[in-house]
Amino acid sequence: MRVTDLVVAASIVALALLLSYAMLLGGIGPVPVRSELRTLALNYILLTYNPVKIIYSALAPEGVTAIVWDYRGLDTYFETAVMFLAIISVVALTHGCKVRIGLGRGGMSLIVKTTTRILMPLIVLAGVSITMHGWLTPGGGFQGGATIAVATVLALVTYSLDTLAKHGIRKKVLLAMRSAGLIGIALTAVALLLVGLAIGVNAYIFQNQERVGSPLAFPAYFGGTPTGGSLLFYNLFEAFAVSAGLSLVIIMASLRESEVRSALRGEGVE
Amino acid sequence: MSELIPYLLTVVFVSFVINLVIALYGIFARPTLVKKIIALTIFSDSLNSLAIFVGYRMVPKGVPAPPVVVNYTSPQGPAQLAKVAVDPLPQALVLTAIVIGLAVTLFMVKVTMQVYRVYGTTSVRKLERIEQSNREEVEEEVIE
Repeated sequence: MRVTDLVVAASIVALALLLSYAMLLGGIGPVPVRSELRTLALNYILLTYNPVKIIYSALAPEGVTAIVWDYRGLDTYFETAVMFLAIISVVALTHGCKVRIGLGRGGMSLIVKTTTRILMPLIVLAGVSITMHGWLTPGGGFQGGATIAVATVLALVTYSLDTLAKHGIRKKVLLAMRSAGLIGIALTAVALLLVGLAIGVNAYIFQNQERVGSPLAFPAYFGGTPTGGSLLFYNLFEAFAVSAGLSLVIIMASLRESEVRSALRGEGVE
Repeated sequence: MSELIPYLLTVVFVSFVINLVIALYGIFARPTLVKKIIALTIFSDSLNSLAIFVGYRMVPKGVPAPPVVVNYTSPQGPAQLAKVAVDPLPQALVLTAIVIGLAVTLFMVKVTMQVYRVYGTTSVRKLERIEQSNREEVEEEVIE
């Protein structure tokens, strides 16, 4: 046993040394003392918001959101789909467990409940604010949605599953919201293509502004403020989908242990 | 001073790699599924930090800025930003990686919970032993 431990320790040290040496030699480019931007990054920064070269631009001042939802939009769509699949599989694993309602509303003390009642709208507001500034400041749909889901967690802990269900936050509603968000993202992706087909103009999937050979574009300004065109819709639907999905997983994780066990034994499956 | 900053950055860089390797050890050598999941999250977090670090740059005069065009009303805004901004592409990729990592972690945690409910343990070695004894029982029944 002692020899095996030694071999494991030696191989770990060797791997760490080898990896750092390979990387510092330039395996992933000249790090960490570069002072120039890579050409690719320079292009992204110069073109993210460039009203002169609209055919290369996303017209969104925030570079990261422009890359996430415009330049590499298909990647992000599949990423959202992966998250959706994970949530579907979590729901499938707890198949047959009923979210039983009407077992009483316990929860924490009055002080905690009152504080939560004051805090929850503020948390939701912060989430909406992060979402609605996603193309102007750091942030976006996923971050905003995750913030909104925190409000659900707070309510679940300080009140109870019953209180959530009473206010309409149920498994089916959340699953429907999650699907609606994903469908909204898919529709935004093909919106210009459908318009182009209808009026006989060339258009592309995940098109935001005017591109080569296609004059169609999402509205880029709202009252003089840049909206990033389609980025506005992507961020909204993403926040919708993520907040519903994360809330659903939290509710699924807080099921009563006895019910999950009886469902595992095959009892109570309808 | 100009020598010190690259040296410290290299130390940070190497420490990320050491973190990665320790997390790999946790994934392979720890028998408990829960610890494997913790090690995997440490692994992905250090990899994400490393990716952000690759996008970092040292600005000769001033502080590196996030890739956000603040002064978008003036035509020189993007060009001004390009002098101080960091690389936005690693940040976008890390955003994607974080979401996928979160989804995978959720799924793994749920599967581990179910494994614990069915077998009463999360240790991979004990699970193997249970599986072996189950197989032997089945073989005995077949022989009888």
